[in-house]
Amino acid sequence: MIIKLLLISLLALLALFVALQRVTSRGVRFTVLTMLAIGAYFVWRPEHANAVAQTLGVGRGADLLMYLWVVITCSVILLLYLKIVELNRMLTQLARRLALSQPIHPPDRSKP
Amino acid sequence: MSFTPSLNLHEVYVVVPAYREADVIAETVGTLAECFPHIVVVDDGSPDATAERACQAGAVVLRHPFNLGQGAALQTGIAYALEQGAHYVATFDADGQHAVADLKKMLGVLMGNQLDVVLGSRFLGEPEGLPRVRLIALKAAVLFTKATSGLQLTDAHNGLRAMTAEAARKLEITQDRMAHASEIINQIARLELRYREVPVTIRYSEYSLRKGQKVRGSVGILVELLVGWLSR
Repeated sequence: MIIKLLLISLLALLALFVALQRVTSRGVRFTVLTMLAIGAYFVWRPEHANAVAQTLGVGRGADLLMYLWVVITCSVILLLYLKIVELNRMLTQLARRLALSQPIHPPDRSKP
Repeated sequence: MSFTPSLNLHEVYVVVPAYREADVIAETVGTLAECFPHIVVVDDGSPDATAERACQAGAVVLRHPFNLGQGAALQTGIAYALEQGAHYVATFDADGQHAVADLKKMLGVLMGNQLDVVLGSRFLGEPEGLPRVRLIALKAAVLFTKATSGLQLTDAHNGLRAMTAEAARKLEITQDRMAHASEIINQIARLELRYREVPVTIRYSEYSLRKGQKVRGSVGILVELLVGWLSR
């Protein structure tokens, strides 16, 4: 029972944090909040998670959640990675503009 | 293969990407400056005196605020050369392994034969002091290039190149680090540029070997190319 309370309050805190975010898009906030709500529900009623898992052909609800977690984590890592590549590209362009805007000329320019 | 008798070297911008080359950059720039009036050294965020020494030796210096990689440095230098109205752009390594005479020969071939790009090849020429392990790695790069671009080249990773401004404008180096050499070749194939390889002599000094790509770098290059392809 203690673990349930602990997990649900953590999820609620996360939900509050996400709900107060102004930067992320409405779609992202909605998706994350829905997932948190489903998570909280399954914490409260693990037997329902078991039922869903069994309908899908997975042994226990905990196993199902773990599989989903792996898939989601991998997708997030890939998305973040692509984001980093994109940021790198922008950083290169920025550095290039900077370099091009400040050429240092040699002291002796009278050479042929 | 004909030579144009009067090479107008004022139309040529020589781009030299440099990172931590303070020991040799002045010599490299000095040798180039005997023939070429326009030398652009791109200091790729070196913590040492590379930029100052290159400038003292007579090059225009562009400084990346931090290290981006040789591919990025080349692209910056080429962009500058085009901005300045270059007719021809050459790339030349900072570590003194290339010969100025070879570059002049390549420019002669480029100007006299209606080509877009001329690439230096150490295997058509005479590599001096090339260790066997590196030879095998370079040959593997040639096979890889053939498989991915379809170009039959003898040397895929030579830093000595000469191209017309038009060709330089079409090339877009997005591989910031070492995979740019393969990328340039892939683009030559894709853009159907007219190219030729010219034998050049590479001087493998102790210094250039210490600084040059390590064999294990080849694997890194492969990964860079794959990632670039994935994130396209």
